[in-house]
Amino acid sequence: MSRSHPLAILLAIALLVAAACTTTGTPGASGSASPSASGGGQAGTLVIYKDVSDLISLDPAVVYEFSGTLIVHNAYETLVQFQGSDLSTLKPGLATKWETKDAGSNWQISFDLRSGAKFASGNAVTADDVVYSIQRAIKLNKSPAFLFTDIAQLKPESVAANGANSVVITLPKTASAQGLLSILTFTIGSIVDSKEVKTHETAGDFGSGWLLEHSAGSGPYIIDHWTKATEVQLKANPNASAKPVLSSILVKHVPESTNQQFALERGDADVAVDLSPQQIAAEQGKQGVTTLKADSLQLVYVGMNATVKPLENVKVREAMRTAIDYNGIVNDLLKGNAKKVQGIVPAGLAGHNADTPFQQDITKAKSLLAEAGQDKGFSLELLVPTGPAPGGTQWSDVAAKLQADWGKIGVTVTIKQTTQAELLTTYRAQRGQLVLILWGPDFPDPDANAGPFTDYAAKSIAFRNGWNDASIADKAKKAALITDPTARNAAYKEITDYVLHNGPYAVLYQPSQNFGLRSNVKGFAWNPMAYADFWAISK
Amino acid sequence: MRFVTYLARRVVGIAAVMVGVSIITFAISHVVPADPAVAALGDHATPAQIVEFRHQYGLDRPLVDQYVLYVEGILHGDLGTSIRTRRAVADDLRDFFPATLELSLSALLIALLLGLPAGVWSAVRRGGIPDQVVRVVILAGGSLPIFWLGLIVIGVGYFQLGWFPGGGRIDAFVAPPPTRTGLYVVDSILAGDFDALSSSLRHLILPAVTLGYFSTALVARMTRASMLESLGQDYIRTARAKGLRERVVVWRHALRNALIPTVTILGLTFASLLSGAVLTETIFSWPGLGRYATASAVSLDFPAVMGVTLLAAVAYPLANLVVDIAYFWLDPRIQRGG
Repeated sequence: MSRSHPLAILLAIALLVAAACTTTGTPGASGSASPSASGGGQAGTLVIYKDVSDLISLDPAVVYEFSGTLIVHNAYETLVQFQGSDLSTLKPGLATKWETKDAGSNWQISFDLRSGAKFASGNAVTADDVVYSIQRAIKLNKSPAFLFTDIAQLKPESVAANGANSVVITLPKTASAQGLLSILTFTIGSIVDSKEVKTHETAGDFGSGWLLEHSAGSGPYIIDHWTKATEVQLKANPNASAKPVLSSILVKHVPESTNQQFALERGDADVAVDLSPQQIAAEQGKQGVTTLKADSLQLVYVGMNATVKPLENVKVREAMRTAIDYNGIVNDLLKGNAKKVQGIVPAGLAGHNADTPFQQDITKAKSLLAEAGQDKGFSLELLVPTGPAPGGTQWSDVAAKLQADWGKIGVTVTIKQTTQAELLTTYRAQRGQLVLILWGPDFPDPDANAGPFTDYAAKSIAFRNGWNDASIADKAKKAALITDPTARNAAYKEITDYVLHNGPYAVLYQPSQNFGLRSNVKGFAWNPMAYADFWAISK
Repeated sequence: MRFVTYLARRVVGIAAVMVGVSIITFAISHVVPADPAVAALGDHATPAQIVEFRHQYGLDRPLVDQYVLYVEGILHGDLGTSIRTRRAVADDLRDFFPATLELSLSALLIALLLGLPAGVWSAVRRGGIPDQVVRVVILAGGSLPIFWLGLIVIGVGYFQLGWFPGGGRIDAFVAPPPTRTGLYVVDSILAGDFDALSSSLRHLILPAVTLGYFSTALVARMTRASMLESLGQDYIRTARAKGLRERVVVWRHALRNALIPTVTILGLTFASLLSGAVLTETIFSWPGLGRYATASAVSLDFPAVMGVTLLAAVAYPLANLVVDIAYFWLDPRIQRGG
């Protein structure tokens, strides 16, 4: 070995270290060495630290994941929208006016488009763009397409232009017009620039390959770039009608929550999305940091397969529900990071039933078992996903709590923890006994829960739990079609009351979601449908 | 000539390993009691969507057909489409592999630059304070969980001291260098981009130290042990008796002989660094192959899992090949065919 080698290596290393230690003069989200008093990144850029490993596409007709929803929501406009964290009042979007008409054998909803609206490309938003966007989503038939095709029962020809600035959507009387309006607020209702997208079409893909990582909308931001597993950056859309306060949004992929917490405290991150309740508690009172508790629409529940003995007996299911210590789960296990909700429609949606008739009553639960002829107890298997459960605990901890509670009434539960994929395969095939899982509505309407939880034929949750109750399924279908809000809420009250005591479910809680924010971040409001209006945020 | 024959044999061996690995991985992937279509589409998908998805990805065909199709694809340079990312697996590997390679090479460099001298030093000063210090470091290196170590390193280096960035490969506001090798440090040098070089190096240090610590300890331990053995040999006594300087005795005579087991360890370590960087990548938001592999496995993304496995199946024998070539250089007996 010649003596010049180690010297050369040392010299090279010294040079590299010198390069590394040189300040580049560009303050960065992840690169600044000193805490920034004004928050993360450069002025005018909101830096969000989030685990975005679920991101697979930014095409509004494809996206159905939380991270994708958050980004796409800010790059496109929809005909109608909900604003802030509200999910009850429809506001104008690209449509200034809309009207639902009873056209005999079907519903017709007409939309008048806002004049002067432009896409990022400068093209005017026309009725043809609306028709193209909805037809495109239906024809592509990706994950969210069922909202149009199954729930709203739309076909490509159901949407038609009525002049340059008006669109009519026709849907059968068996579908809910109110439900469709709610669906249209979601990312699948995004209106794309048909002229722009058509220039990027290849092999009949409706431009999906291009829209995977680009945007063609009229929303307040455009997608500047998406570096896989690293970051997505949005830049202000110069043609947007509503000018955003901040010129840029940077969503950085940071899967480790400790790293998110460090960056928030140091001021490199403006918003940390995935902090645990323990981390949120630790942030209380820290200088320059605030926290925000927001609602979600998820429900964590136990499905009880009614085809498995003795769960076919309604009294046994009522006993199982009655044995659970809901307050203990919400207050002790989740440290209050959830709401006690027991109905199948979450708080925040119309039709929510605020009644919580169940709290642990061992004597009552045992007497219910005795009435069912099961006073000697029985054994069942509880399927549980791996990893963290919503609300900031582990699925296994919730399962252990349930196991202990049910043990008190003589029900021996064996916990089987599997990956979500394996659990779902078993559950969907109606092969689970007890299944601990969560559900979030596909669109902000009670029908998004009442349908799956009651309709056996839909092969969703009721099917998975072997609960075939045609009368309640029929009532849920009729409730979805009611147009008068008061009558609709009354119908859902009746349905949710019935499912509470007769259904094969024990709804445990509705989790909250926590955010860590730099104190100077203003206007951050989390919509329970898992998005935020970036354009309203300042810092 | 012997070397060329040897090389050819190894290349054929690598091909055989890949066939074997592909069959085994394929078989194991498909006996998992879960449906990849369900994993990909989730809780809300309708039965019709599941059926269509299974058809689209050929999951409704017999297993043997699926394998034959897959192999045909590979022979045409097509590793299939990832079920999770919906992109060509080859594109995904091309995006994520360089990041892991850069991190692993850096970790290996640290192991070599710190572990080797530490092992030699410790052996030469056997029983002394340097030896005690090195042995404690070695013990810690073998016992500290990498996840814990990573959090400590980031907690001190980024959060407390603020000397290094907290994650990622490059500053968000510094443009990555034009891709030539995919290794940001190398590409920055090639492009003469000093900002990118500085930023990518600063981002590399903490994860490389974290990932390299275990390897450093391993190299130091192996070097120490084999140096102790070398230093007790007759030829060392002869070298000293000839009046050679101690530095020459240690570095030229003892170390060269002691390097063979260390080189073996380095080769194996590098291959395992490539495939085992997942925890480091998670803590440091490093967009590498480890995280890609884990996410793919959890979501039953068979084409991606197969792609990563095949890459690893190439990486291990290749690392071994490099080790063998190093033997050739280190041990004259191998060159002579002894």
